[in-house]
Order: sequence, then structure tokens, then C-alpha cells
Amino acid sequence: MKYMIMMFGSAGEMMDVKSPDWIREMIQFMRQLDVDLRDSGEMVFNAGLADGSSAKTVRLADGLPVATDGPYAEAKESLIGYWVLDVENEARILEIAGRIVEWSEVVEVRPVADAPPEV
Amino acid sequence: VTSDRRIESLLRELAPQALGALVRRHGQFDACEDAVQEALLAAALQWPKDGVPASPLGWLVTVGERRLTDEWRSDSARRRREEADAALDLVPGEPAADHDDALTLLFLCCHPSLSAPSQLALTLRAVGGLTTAEIARAFLIPEATMAQRISRAKQSIKAAGVAFDLPPPAERAERLRVVLQVLYLVFNEGYLHRADLTAEAIRLARLLHRLLLDEHEVAGLLALMLLTDARRAARTDPDGMPVPLAEQRRELWDAAQIAEGIALLTATLGRSAPGPYQLQAAIAAVHDEAASAEETDWPQILALYTVLEHVSPGPVVTLNRAVALAMVEGPAAGLAVLDTLRGDESMAHTHRLDAVRGHLLELAGELAAARECYRRAARMTRSVAEQQYLALRAAALPGDNVPKAGRSGV
Repeated sequence: MKYMIMMFGSAGEMMDVKSPDWIREMIQFMRQLDVDLRDSGEMVFNAGLADGSSAKTVRLADGLPVATDGPYAEAKESLIGYWVLDVENEARILEIAGRIVEWSEVVEVRPVADAPPEV
Repeated sequence: VTSDRRIESLLRELAPQALGALVRRHGQFDACEDAVQEALLAAALQWPKDGVPASPLGWLVTVGERRLTDEWRSDSARRRREEADAALDLVPGEPAADHDDALTLLFLCCHPSLSAPSQLALTLRAVGGLTTAEIARAFLIPEATMAQRISRAKQSIKAAGVAFDLPPPAERAERLRVVLQVLYLVFNEGYLHRADLTAEAIRLARLLHRLLLDEHEVAGLLALMLLTDARRAARTDPDGMPVPLAEQRRELWDAAQIAEGIALLTATLGRSAPGPYQLQAAIAAVHDEAASAEETDWPQILALYTVLEHVSPGPVVTLNRAVALAMVEGPAAGLAVLDTLRGDESMAHTHRLDAVRGHLLELAGELAAARECYRRAARMTRSVAEQQYLALRAAALPGDNVPKAGRSGV
């Protein structure tokens, strides 16, 4: 079963409140996690994202696409990384997400909807 | 395994020659390129079992030719009749080991009508002899995407009606500049992400240097690659974090590669006005020759950057000159140069200006301001490793009134 784990947070926020030791341990955890998930054969793909403050939002304005900088205001919690994993069951994905949330503010887990249609 | 590797490097070397021979004989770069890839694949399967044939190049050309005629035969009934006759005339190859073919191919794959990603991909496949799967892995994109990119690149070349010839003398300098740029991009891609691409870039630069011994910028580019890649083992710590030049363990640097780079450079310098690659290689050489960061000959580096800024001006060169100036005259002088880049559009969206400013402010003892710069840089970088590195630099500096050690482990 494929799931996406989405990790929310902010590099800026992290630099404000964390110690260098904490950051160093977090980095080691993230690297080791990727190694472990590749070794176990569960990693489909993953990526880290640039800080949310570099985002642009594209909206339709009078029927035309318009790109604006941001969202800055909500930069405290934006998507900063994701993993698509192919795991045995939901318990396993929740276990992995539980390890990640120790280092991140919020983690969202969602099934990837790639099952064949049953209709 | 050793002999497999020997076969692999032989195949990589023969790939552009086999392709050149086929294209000369049949035209149709597109079809010939596919045929050579299939011949390479067949060889990779067969040669380790049966041994390398007496004329490996002839073997590849013959098999490639057979694939081409198979392809043509299946095209249509009309073509089948024509080509079946033509196929009888094919002389199983003893093509001249024409090294110009590799050069012509390089110019073709780096044709200005192609986008940079297409130039890179096509060069690696047609000249480098890499498979689509290998190229896709190196660029971390799906194989189907890379296959499509290569196929479209070949269509663009076909549509542009490019002849399989060296560019005319009037265009040559400009076309060579593009080739060098493509090889340097391959190198940088490897330097940032995948070491095997770095090795491939160096191999292609060596090939180009062999073909164009008199082009000093080709020697300069090869020297630059060797002198930069020599530091690879020291550039990251065991956790994969980047280690800045000043803090690298220099005993890990590759002395043989440094010696080779310096020898290449020495052979060209002073023989004509140096170009940007020679100058950048010279700067890399000054760093590599210093036994410790403290012993770096910064006045020499500053002089080289000043020349480079004249020859090839640009904000990144100015940024580097600011660092050199700071090392010679103190951080205030470097920061003054950085101020001249404030309005530069190309610097507005990169982290580099803030990262360098942070470094110089830190040297000047303005720690809170340095911290702000590192934080801004961390928000802007496109590299997760660099983001983490800059976050660490920022966190290591005292902030205004922010608790530092707290909330460990959340």
C-alpha cells in the first residue's frame, strides 16, 4: 500500500528556537531514515523542499493565472518535505510517521489513490 | 568484474566512433544513435561471455548497421525492397578510427538549438555512451522522462537540418564555448549530486583535450575539473554535511589529481591571454597548493579574480572577489564590494549573496547581523544539505533575545 507522508514546518522557525546540537541530531535522523527506507525497499520517492517563504501561489484572477509571492504569512507551517512509501499496512506507515513527528511540528499521512477501480 | 569494467570503458570510448561511422555512411543521426545504443547493449551482454572481438569497433558498426537495416526493413514494403538490396552492399565495417567524429558529435549534441538539459542528456548518451537509464538515475528523474527528453532533442536536431560536420570556422569559437559549458554543467551536476557524472565529465573533457591540444581553454576546463574534484573526499563530513574549504582535511585531497591539473595549467599559462576556465583553474590551484587554510596566498587569488572579472564579468565572480578582498584587506572591504551587488537582479533570488555576507559579517564580529544573513540564505537555498548547513551556522551564533538551547527534542 502506498502512502504519502507530508512533513510540515519551517527552516526559519527551527533556526530561532533550536540549538545547534538539536539541528545536528535532526539532520542525522533524516539522513538515516532515508537510508533505512531505501534498505527496507519501502521508499518509492522523496524530496525535501526549499523553505515555504520561497513559494509562489498561482491563482486565477479574472480568468488569467497570476503568480504572487508567498504564502509568507503561514510560513510557520508549510510543507517542507515528503516521502512516498510502499508499506505493508497502515500500522507501519503510522510507525514511520511517529518517528518523523518527533523532529517536525506536524506530519500528515495519506493513502496514494493508485488502486484499480472496483466499479 | 575487472574485465567487465574494462569492457565498459572500452564501449564508452568506442561509442562516439561507432556512431560517427554510421552517421557518415547513412546520415540519419536519430536512427543511427538508436542503433549504436542497441549495439552497445548487445556488446555489454556478449563480450564478457565470448570475449572482446578482434576489431571491437568493426563489431559495433556491423551490429549497428544490422539494426539499422532491420529497422528500415520493417518500415514499409517499399522501403523493405529498397533497403534489402542496399543491405547486401554493406561492407562489415573497418571504419577509420576517426577521432574527428567524436568532436563532430560533441558539437552536434551541444547544438545551440537545444535547451541546456537536452544538450547534457544527448551528450552523455551519444558521446558518453551512457544508457538512458544511467542518465536518468544521474539526474534523479524517471527513465521515461529522460527517454522522451533525448528523443525530442534528436528531433530538434533533425528539424534544424544540422549537417554531420564540424562547424564552419567563423562559428567555431562560439560553438566550442557551448561545448565547454555543457561539459562544465555535467561536471557541476556531478559535483553537487552524483560522483559518477563528475567522472564522466572529466573523461569527456580529457577526450576533448586530446582532440584539441592547442585550445588552451579546453586544457583550462580539464584542469579546473581535476583541481576541484581533487577535494571531493574532504568536501562532506561523514554525515553528508558540506565542509567549507577552510575547514577541510587537506590530507584527504587527491595529490595526484592536483599535480595533473597544475601540470596542464602550467603548460598553457603565459602562452596567450588566459580565458575564464584557465583563470578559475589557476584560482583552484592556489587553494590546492596551500598546505593549510592559513597559508592560502590570498593576494594571488585576489589578483586572479580581478583579472577574471575583466575577462568574464558577472555577479558570481564579484562575489568571489569580495571574499578574496576580505581575506587580504579585512571584512569591511569585502562587505563594501558586496554592497555593489545589492540591486543585481540575478542575485535577488539566490542565497549566495546572503551566505557570503553572513560569512564576512561573522569575520567582522557582527554576529547578530551574520545570523540574520545565514537565516535568509537558508530560506532561499534550493539544496536541503545547504539549508541544513546554513541553519547550523545561524543557530551557532548568538541571536538578539531568543532562547537558544531550549525545547530540545520537542
